[in-house]
Amino acid sequence: MWAARATFPFEFAILLGDNIYGRQDLVAKFQKPYQPLLDAGVRFFAALGNHDDPDHRFYPAFNMNGQRYYTFVRQTVRFVVLDTNQLDPKQVAWTEDTLRTSQEAWKIVYFHHPLYSDGGRHGSDVELRVVLEPLLVRHGVSVVFASHDHIYERVKPQNGIAYFVEGSSGQLRKGNLRRSDLTAAGFDQDQTFMLVEIAGSEMHFKTISRTGVTVDSGVIGRRSTT
Amino acid sequence: MTTHPLPHRTLPASGQYSAGALFHFTIEHFLLLPLGGLIALAWANTRPESYFTTAYALSFVVNEIGMALFFALITQEIVEEIMPGGALHTWRHWTLPVVGAGGGIVGSAFVYLAYVAWKHEPVLTAGWPVAGAVDLAFAYFIVKAMFRRHAAIPFLLLLAIAADAFGMVAIASRHPFVEIRPGGTALMVAALGLAFALRRWKVRTFWPYLAVCGPLSWGALYLDGLHPAFALVPIVPFLPHAPRSLALFEDTPHGPHDSPRHFEHVWKYPIQGVLFLFGLVNAGVLLSGYGTGTWALLSAAVIGKPLGILAAVGVAVALGLHLPARLHWRDLVVVALATSGGFTFGLFFATAAFPLGPILAELKMGAVATGIGVPLAIGAARLLHVGRFGRHAHHYHEAHRHHGSRDHPPHHAHRVHHAHAEQ
Repeated sequence: MWAARATFPFEFAILLGDNIYGRQDLVAKFQKPYQPLLDAGVRFFAALGNHDDPDHRFYPAFNMNGQRYYTFVRQTVRFVVLDTNQLDPKQVAWTEDTLRTSQEAWKIVYFHHPLYSDGGRHGSDVELRVVLEPLLVRHGVSVVFASHDHIYERVKPQNGIAYFVEGSSGQLRKGNLRRSDLTAAGFDQDQTFMLVEIAGSEMHFKTISRTGVTVDSGVIGRRSTT
Repeated sequence: MTTHPLPHRTLPASGQYSAGALFHFTIEHFLLLPLGGLIALAWANTRPESYFTTAYALSFVVNEIGMALFFALITQEIVEEIMPGGALHTWRHWTLPVVGAGGGIVGSAFVYLAYVAWKHEPVLTAGWPVAGAVDLAFAYFIVKAMFRRHAAIPFLLLLAIAADAFGMVAIASRHPFVEIRPGGTALMVAALGLAFALRRWKVRTFWPYLAVCGPLSWGALYLDGLHPAFALVPIVPFLPHAPRSLALFEDTPHGPHDSPRHFEHVWKYPIQGVLFLFGLVNAGVLLSGYGTGTWALLSAAVIGKPLGILAAVGVAVALGLHLPARLHWRDLVVVALATSGGFTFGLFFATAAFPLGPILAELKMGAVATGIGVPLAIGAARLLHVGRFGRHAHHYHEAHRHHGSRDHPPHHAHRVHHAHAEQ
């Protein structure tokens, strides 16, 4: 990531949950490895996964402001971050309200558990999908990022929304991708991270492996928000 | 064309007779709930999108409103067992089972939390009450089937009631997942005040308690962020009651509309329908949705809870309390294992402790899987020669196998003699 930043100076990063495994040592497992990026002013906006201590929402470097779910804006993009460990009625109502009142051109939502996934261990969370997908479609969300399955997968657009499973940035489950008709692209042989840039009505993305190889890239068009 | 006169009396078709008997058996043994659960499991794993859409649409009505009737029935049963004249009135009946229940909760919580900590999934921590849940009906029917008339039955009932009561208190609050709004306390005061007044005015029909006090209490709990399914629990004690004698869930003589039994006679079948829907709406989990919560719950329920019960009772006995007459340690092992099945209460506690999501799905799967407690309890009874598997029961069975008739099959005669032996 540090090497990629030399040519692509990204401003912030999003974390898709299960940010810390095992002993919840934020200094050893987050602060120290990412110190160069933190020192360069890169901010991290985290979502909570099932392996995360819920109190991580109070960790300043995760920029969650003590909330399990929250929203922030970067230029023309409204990001909505959810806690899919526990999708309570209050959170669902907040999500609908936030998306409905958002004026930004782009709406991007991210959370831990994928609504669509071909990961062999977990797969699609259909129970979450029946609740969340109608909201996302109704309110013009363009892109959804999730993880939970330790693979990379770009899912074919579903009801106009582009879905990504990026769960191999930390821990990898090699060979766990079960390609199907849903799969547009996938990679499960090494850890990966994504670089994303939004320019006007296009989102350019590049998925890079631990060794610097580009395993996927492309352009996603913005959905109409009307 | 030749015609034949109809016989004066026609026998019912054998299919009709079987269907009626099957329906009656299903109702009497609370089998609609597991039937709903089995349908849910099959549906969720074959057509998940349609299942979860339907379940999500029905969950509020079933879990937050329909289940209020079920808890009202349970409360009525309990109130009438423990009131003066009831079989469970004296404190001497209560002490050891309550101690056992406490031990079971501590044991299950310890194993659950230890497992969750070992797997580094602190988000599951709040699920510990689910592991302590006991499916009252299932445990009762298992123990009754194995022991018939025996001190193990009231012991189990008291233990299960105490364990579930504690669990209900632990999961009653749903904050911070729901809004808390003002006015709840005032509504509850109104509900209880009206129920008290109705009792003072000797209003014996249950309808005003149910139709007026019930919704007030429901609204109070809902506004206060507490589980509204418990709405009738504080109201039912004001209903007219008559003492019971260990007749949990059994039919009692039908009375007039103002009799203490009228409530359960009117609602018995609708509540079974609610339980069917409860199983249908809540037990549908994807078989691939297992996780840490599933294993934590299962190990806590099947290992931690029984061991906790036995340890607590052992300490209490060592400190001077006594096991009930004719309840031996081998019987207690079977009773402890019979409590490992959480099913109904486990599912309910899970849905109360966690909102929709993968965490809830893991725990629901664990709650369903605790049904393994049934064969474990039966297996333990066989191994330890307890109840109907006791050595003296075997001798009676062998003796009567040679003397049984079509109208009085050997096992019925065996039951009668075994019952006398237990007394």
